[in-house]
Amino acid sequence: MSAPYVELHAHSAFSFLDGASTPTELVAAAAELGYPALALTDHDGLWGSLEFAGACRGLGVRPITGAELTLRSAGGDVHLTLLVESASGYRNLCRLLTAAHAGTRDGPARTATPPAATLGQLEEHAEGLVCLSGCARDGALAGAWERGETAAAGRLGHRLLDAFGRDRFRVELQRPFWRHDRARNRWLTQLAGRLGVPCAATGNVHAHSRRRTHLQDALVAIRRGETLEESEPHRRGNRSSALVSPAAMAARFAEHPEAVAETVCLAERLRFDLTTDLGYRYPEEDDADHTLAELCRHRLIERYQGLPSWADAAARLDRELATIRQLGLSGFFLLHHELLELAREVAAEVRGPASARAVLPPGRGRGSSVSSIVCYLTGLSHIDPVEAGLFAGRFLSEGSTSVPDIDLDFPRDIREALIPRVHRTYGADRSALVAAFPTYRPRGIVRDLGKALGLPPAEIDRVAKTAGFHESREEMGRDVEAAIGAERAVAPRWKALLWLADDALGLPRHASQHSGGMVLATAPLVEVCPIVPAAMAGRQIVQWDKDSCADAGFLKIDLLGLGMLSAVERCVEEVEATRGERLDLSRIPVDDEATFESIRAAETTGVFQIESRAQMQMLPRTQPRDLDDLTVQVALVRPGPIQGGAVHPYIERRKRQREDPSFEVPYEHPLLEPVLAETLGTIVYQEQVIEVAMALAGFTPAEAEGLRRAMSRKRSQAAIREHHRRFVAGAARRGVPEETAERIWRQIQGFSGFGFPKAHSAAFGLLAYQSAWLRVHRGPEFLCSLLNEQPMGFYPPDSLVHEAQRRGIRVAGPDANRSHLLCHVESPPRSVEFVHGGETNSTDAELRVRIGLGYVKGVRAEEMEALVAERQRGGPYGGVAELASRSGVGLASLERLARAGALDAIPLGGATHEDRRRALWGVGAAAAGHATGSGRQLALPLEPPAPPELEPLGEWGELIADYRATGIALGKHPLALLRDGLGPEVLRSTDLERAGDGATVEVAGMIVARQRPETAKGIVFLLLEDERGTVNLIAPPPVYERHRSLIRTAPLLRARGRLERREGTINVLVTSVAPLDVAQLPAVAPAGHSFGRRG
Amino acid sequence: MTPGLRRLYVPRPVRVRTGEGGEPLEVDGVAVEAVREEWLVEDRWWAPGPLRRRYYELALADGRALTVFRRGDSGRWYRQRA
Repeated sequence: MSAPYVELHAHSAFSFLDGASTPTELVAAAAELGYPALALTDHDGLWGSLEFAGACRGLGVRPITGAELTLRSAGGDVHLTLLVESASGYRNLCRLLTAAHAGTRDGPARTATPPAATLGQLEEHAEGLVCLSGCARDGALAGAWERGETAAAGRLGHRLLDAFGRDRFRVELQRPFWRHDRARNRWLTQLAGRLGVPCAATGNVHAHSRRRTHLQDALVAIRRGETLEESEPHRRGNRSSALVSPAAMAARFAEHPEAVAETVCLAERLRFDLTTDLGYRYPEEDDADHTLAELCRHRLIERYQGLPSWADAAARLDRELATIRQLGLSGFFLLHHELLELAREVAAEVRGPASARAVLPPGRGRGSSVSSIVCYLTGLSHIDPVEAGLFAGRFLSEGSTSVPDIDLDFPRDIREALIPRVHRTYGADRSALVAAFPTYRPRGIVRDLGKALGLPPAEIDRVAKTAGFHESREEMGRDVEAAIGAERAVAPRWKALLWLADDALGLPRHASQHSGGMVLATAPLVEVCPIVPAAMAGRQIVQWDKDSCADAGFLKIDLLGLGMLSAVERCVEEVEATRGERLDLSRIPVDDEATFESIRAAETTGVFQIESRAQMQMLPRTQPRDLDDLTVQVALVRPGPIQGGAVHPYIERRKRQREDPSFEVPYEHPLLEPVLAETLGTIVYQEQVIEVAMALAGFTPAEAEGLRRAMSRKRSQAAIREHHRRFVAGAARRGVPEETAERIWRQIQGFSGFGFPKAHSAAFGLLAYQSAWLRVHRGPEFLCSLLNEQPMGFYPPDSLVHEAQRRGIRVAGPDANRSHLLCHVESPPRSVEFVHGGETNSTDAELRVRIGLGYVKGVRAEEMEALVAERQRGGPYGGVAELASRSGVGLASLERLARAGALDAIPLGGATHEDRRRALWGVGAAAAGHATGSGRQLALPLEPPAPPELEPLGEWGELIADYRATGIALGKHPLALLRDGLGPEVLRSTDLERAGDGATVEVAGMIVARQRPETAKGIVFLLLEDERGTVNLIAPPPVYERHRSLIRTAPLLRARGRLERREGTINVLVTSVAPLDVAQLPAVAPAGHSFGRRG
Repeated sequence: MTPGLRRLYVPRPVRVRTGEGGEPLEVDGVAVEAVREEWLVEDRWWAPGPLRRRYYELALADGRALTVFRRGDSGRWYRQRA
């Protein structure tokens, strides 16, 4: 080791709101500056330690694992720098950090309090750790000197020396270029002499470059909720916390050469490497290999015996089992199987034994696991991989260093019950949730930095409101100019905001829990990674995110909640309730012509995955005919295939193939034909990246998997460059011209891993098909279950209802004498409440979706439940006062019900009235119960007299009342009401069918969805809904720039443009837009869903 | 500034001869005997007048203690009354 100094004290952005660089940035800078080794010592955590160790490995820097621990002492909280020397030291560090966080969410609201360990805990877990005495300001010794408590510092020094011994305790010297550096370091050196230990110099690095130290200042202000000016005493005061070269550090400590040399000696000793020495083992039984093989062979016979695929399946099973044995993963698969059995129990409890849902599997596999026959046979996946022709390479490859991904999708209610059950079954010290690190996003960073920079709150607010996801610095600059004017935007503080935001975007802001990833272990997890309490009671998280957990080889299971699975289950139940029919979705025909016809016609509103605007545009062009086509379809509209340039060639070739069966697919190189044949020569699936790298450049499966992983994570440019070099070289060895190899590399890079594995698409494609089938054949029940599972999908409930109404599905508003809490399907004229099953002959036309009382905004759910329960017990309500008296619903909820029209059918003054104003009058006149000081005053069942003559609300009034009350307008569409005033030049959506290609047209409607995809170069796509259907608008950047706020915020819009007709799709290329002003409507109409970049 | 009011502790320009590392060797013709402390202030980078000063707390040959700083923008030296 030739460098004169090694940095042993560095903070990354995982010292949340303190460190200003990622671990990878620090490592890259260290490599460039010639550091042979580097320690990462984030505050009270190992959050970034594995990312750090991985980055070090890739760049030839030796990682030293450590943390800056907060120690609770009599004089307040102080800091110590702990560095791992051995495996036992690592275990101790994990235990210490876990202990420091143990009591941090004990308050009633579980808000986090600062972590800290006690001296007793430290003494108990000192073995294997090297302790430096801490930083200049808050260090255990230096901090005490700063406060003038030198005697106490001496005593603490002795205790630390006793705990760690002369070999493993060092007095830490820092040189932050503060006023008393020299005096402090002189005193510390003398103390070290008295203690008989050497000093060690450190840089207390907070940023990888000088530029980033400004962000570090800003982060301190943000952390303290102050402006930069106010936070001055707490900031570092200068830019010396940036990582500088070993020689510069040696010069900085010229007066303490022995402390500089000591860093090199320590680094030599600190050889614990997280990437190799973690010591985690999967939970595994002794004869796991045998048990798994038995289980699979038994199921193989059940599933495949007598089928033509038997031989293939048996051979594939043998291959997979051999690989699994070789990788030592049998226990891993058994554990997943066991977990699924646990899920089955939980599902049975959640669903109830009599439910139609009982025949459904408890969850479904997604991700690459679906390609494995072992997963299929153990119940982890529901796709027969032999029949579906799935490639298991990505999932299981010999020589692979990582554990395969198995993701399990569950209906939301089952998932909620399963997570605590897993904690109970496997033990709190052996199971924990995976961490997630929410990163800084444009909107948040504008607000936080704006406040730190002391910018006017109103201006910050204006800028933040216009900032969206994925914003570049230039775009944010334009937002600032648009919001506050070009003149103000050049002020230094606003300019600082822009470049600080640019640096901050993507940095982790804090730690939270991953949506469903759990890790399991047989030994206590706390010895391999610190565990901290989660914000939700009864849950805890490990300090690593999913990437780190995967790198650590943890057994990670993903228990994800999937809204469409919940909706499909609800639908099955609803079908049983209305038609008495027990649907088994695994047995519906997979080649139903009506279903595929609707898919090809893009009639897919509400259907899983293929309902989006982009999908609907593509379906008429790709013309899916079977499940395989749907598998491609689901994968196609993803950033990977779009950016990799796969979409247009695929559509084009598919069309050519349809028109001319002898059409030959052009391949970039003949070597690619076997791996890209099913996607017509384009890269659509994630594992095709692997297969292409293997076929074209001769990568081993493990190398190719490394390439895929490098591309699917951000900030690993160095690794990608290395893969690129090997790719082109490997291709050359196989006789592929460099130019061709580069072109294919660009496709791979464009793809960047942001695509689905085929197996995942197959699972999603099947769910898409099942939901499309339900939409076609059980339309009312399907709509009903979508409404009950909101929020989910692409369309707001209002649009789902309008589209269903256009298909002839009848939807009725909330009704206190008919509705349940949730929406349900009723068979008029018989009241469905008193009929259970037995109506298998109901047709869609007889059925009616009844909006639930729970949809009425602002009502209390428990009151609505009481209302329904009382009605089911004692029969329909004969009057408003009777309703109030029997159900106990209070005045506020009654008024809301009346405004929503839910009391229209309740007789008033001896007659029904069907009018909200009269119902509202009735509520006011009847003596509803109301809250009093000592409880609730019960309502008297005295019906009010007949109301006076009241002018009815009218169509507009009802429309506005509907939007206000439930967000769903069931009467006339706003455009139907506006139509007469629009003039004949404004066409209806259905009129566009007759307009010619290239014609100038004018349309108007409600904005249902706005999209500004990252992949579309600033183009905004709008979906406009009128009384007959929807229109696709394409707003090119100049139009968008001219009408930004209108397009972003207006609920109704009038647009003019050129009609474009292409293979069954119609778009209007917008040239101008105008507002469609209707009094009150903008305030209450649904805002429409906005997707993607909002810049 | 309002007439009649006088700012206290206004830094006064001084002449400083420096060594190779930029450290002061002589202040207004008086030799520097020792540099007691050296520190750095880099602040207000977000405002129109960013601050960058390198401070030295000195012991002079004539027995005086003196704090001087060098402005990062102009390179000029000033003495600061403690």
